[in-house]
Amino acid sequence: MLLTKTLTSSTFKLALIAIGTFGAIASTIFSYVYLSTSSYVRDRSDRAIMAEHLSLLGAHERKGREGLIALIQERMADKSFADSVYILVNSSGIALAGNLDVWPPAVTAATGWAEFRAPRQSPHAANPPLLRAMLETFPNGDRLLVGKDIGDLDSFANQIRAAVISGAALIVVLAGVASVLVTRRTVGRIESINAASRAIMLSGLDQRIPLRGTHDEWDRVAENLNLMLDRIETLMGEVKQASDNVAHDLRTPLTRMRGRLEKVYQSRRVGDDDQSLIDDTIADLDAVLRLFSSITRIAQIETQARQSAFRTVSLVEVASEVVELYDAAAEQDGTHLTVVGNQEVLVTGDRDLIFDAIANLVDNAIKHGRPGGQVVVANERIDGRPVISVADDGPGVPADEYEHVFKRFYRLEHSRYKPGNGLGLSLVAAVAQLHGARIEMLDNSPGLKLRLWFSAPAS
Amino acid sequence: MTGPHRRILVVEDDPETAGQLVESLAANGYQVDLAASGNEALGRGVASDYAVITIDRMLPDIDGLAVMRQLRDGGVATPVLIVSALGEVDDRVRGLRAGGDDYLVKPFSFIELVARVEALGRRSDTVVKETVLRVGDLAIDLMSRTASRRGKNISLFPREFQLLEYLVRNEGRVVSRAMLLQHVWDLHFDPSTNIIDVYVGRVRRKVDDQQAYPLIHTVRGIGYRLRAPD
Repeated sequence: MLLTKTLTSSTFKLALIAIGTFGAIASTIFSYVYLSTSSYVRDRSDRAIMAEHLSLLGAHERKGREGLIALIQERMADKSFADSVYILVNSSGIALAGNLDVWPPAVTAATGWAEFRAPRQSPHAANPPLLRAMLETFPNGDRLLVGKDIGDLDSFANQIRAAVISGAALIVVLAGVASVLVTRRTVGRIESINAASRAIMLSGLDQRIPLRGTHDEWDRVAENLNLMLDRIETLMGEVKQASDNVAHDLRTPLTRMRGRLEKVYQSRRVGDDDQSLIDDTIADLDAVLRLFSSITRIAQIETQARQSAFRTVSLVEVASEVVELYDAAAEQDGTHLTVVGNQEVLVTGDRDLIFDAIANLVDNAIKHGRPGGQVVVANERIDGRPVISVADDGPGVPADEYEHVFKRFYRLEHSRYKPGNGLGLSLVAAVAQLHGARIEMLDNSPGLKLRLWFSAPAS
Repeated sequence: MTGPHRRILVVEDDPETAGQLVESLAANGYQVDLAASGNEALGRGVASDYAVITIDRMLPDIDGLAVMRQLRDGGVATPVLIVSALGEVDDRVRGLRAGGDDYLVKPFSFIELVARVEALGRRSDTVVKETVLRVGDLAIDLMSRTASRRGKNISLFPREFQLLEYLVRNEGRVVSRAMLLQHVWDLHFDPSTNIIDVYVGRVRRKVDDQQAYPLIHTVRGIGYRLRAPD
C-alpha cells in the first residue's frame, strides 16, 4: 500500500529524474576519465618505444648492422628492458638478433606502428601477450621491430573501465534506494496529514494533525493546517453562536406572541369566528416554531455534538417501534405498513436520532406512497453491514432528483402541497452523516426504496 | 388540594414570559412566586414549600439543571419542571422523567404548562395504589391490562391500553400531544404529521363508539381530556 503510494508519488518521479540527470553527468565524467587515462598511459608507452627506436637507429647509423645487433643484445641482457621486444631480420626474413624467434607474420608494413599478438612460442601458451611496436626498414633490406608488451596496459584499461562501470552502477543503485527511502518518508508524512484530514472530515473539527517535533517543513505545514483548523473551528463556533442567539432571540418573542394569542383565545368575549382565526394563527406560529426547531436540530446534529450519546441500538427494535407508532396513520391512509426481518441487527448510535430518521422515512413513504399501497420497513445485514430500508410503491422519485431531495426545504413538484416542510430528508441525511451511514436511493419499480447502510458496531 | 400545595415557584428571566406564566397559573388557581435568576430561585426554593417549581434551562447566572441539583442537595424534594429549548434537550434533561420530574420544550402553550404542573403536583401528594381505575362507566384493570365499559370488554393493543391508562390517570386534565408522546411512547420527537391524533382516534373509536356518552374529548390547539359528564 505504502510502497505503491511511494512508487506513484511525485517525489519519487522527481527523484527518478534526478537520478537520470545525475547518472548521465556521472557517466560522462567517468567516460572522460577513462578515455584520458587510457590515452595518457598509451602515450607514455608509445613515447618509450619511440625513444628506444631512435637509440637503435642511432646505433645503426654510427656502427652499422653490427652496432645495432650489439645494442639489441645489450638491451636483452638488461633487466630494466624485460618488457621490450626486438627483432632484426635480413631481407630474406632470417632473424639476426632479438628476443622474438620469427618476424610476426601479421606484421607486413615497412615502417610505422604495428599492434599484434606475439607469435605463439609454444602451443600451451594460452594467451600470447599483446605487443605494440615500431617498424623500420633499412636500405639494405634489413627490417627492425622495436616494441613493448602492452598487455598490462590493456588490462589496466580494462580495470579502469570495470571500475568506472561498476562505480556508475553502484551510484545508480544507491541513489535509487536513497530516493525510495526519502520518498517513503515524505509519502508517510503526507499520508499522516491525509489521514488526519480524512478523520477531520469524518468525525469533526476537534481533531488535529500530529506534529513530530522535528521542526522541519512538514511540521510547519501541519502547524499551519492546525492553525487553519483552529480558525475554522472558531468561525464555525461563532456562526453557530450567532444562529443560536438568533434562534433564542426569535423564539422568545414568538413564544410571547403565542402566549398572548392563547390568552385571547381563552377569553370568553371572543366569538367563534375570531376563535378560529386565532386558532389558525396559533397553528401557523407553531409551524414556524417547529420549522425553527427542526433547523436548530439539524444544525445541532451536524455539529456532531451528540456522539457522546452513542449506545448499542437494535435496529429491529427501533424499526418495530416506528412501525407501531405509524401504524394508525398508515391505517388511516389505507396503507399496509409492515416490518420484515427479525434478525438481530445492532448498530452503534443515538437511539432517538435513529428513531427520528426512520420515522421520517416511514412518514415520507406513507405520505408520498400510493394510497392503499404497501410500505415495507426491512432490517437486513448485507455484506456484514447493518442495513435498514424503507420502501413504498408510490410514484417514486426520478433518478435525476436523487441528489436534490436531501437539500433543506427541497420538495418535489408533485408533493409541494402535501404537509411537511422539506426538512425530513435533510434530517435523515444529518443523522446518517453523524453515524457514518450511507444513504442509498433505489428504484423500487414502482416506488422508492431508501437504504441506510450503517457500519458494523465495533465488537 | 389545599393551600400550600397550590403554590408554585416560576424561575424565568424573560419578564413578559414570566408575566404570562404567572397569569396562566394564577388563572388556574395557583399562587405563584417568581424568581428571575438562579440564585434567587435557590433562595426562594429552600425557604418555602412549593407544590411544583418550573425552571428555565437558560438562566442568566446558573444552568437550570444546576439550580435543580443544588435544590436537591439542599433537601428540597419538590417536583421540578425544566423548561428547555429543543436544542438543549439532552440525556440529562431526558433523565428528569425517571426522577419524578419533567421537562417541557419551548415554545409551549400555557395550557400545556398548566397541564404538566398539574400532573407533577398531583404526583407529589397522591400515590394511589388502586388496581382498577374508573371514570364514569369505564373501568381499566391495571393488573390484567384490560378495559371495559358497562362491563363490556374493549379489546385494546398494549400501546392503546397505555394511552388510555395515561388519559384515565389524568382524568379531567388536559393532556397534550407532546405529553402523550413522552409518557406513552417515551419519545422525545416532533412528528410533522398528526400521528398522535390518528392513534387517539383509534382508541377513541374503540372506547366511545356506540356508548351513552363520549369520554375522550379533543381540546383544540393542545390535545385531549378524558372526562365523564357531570
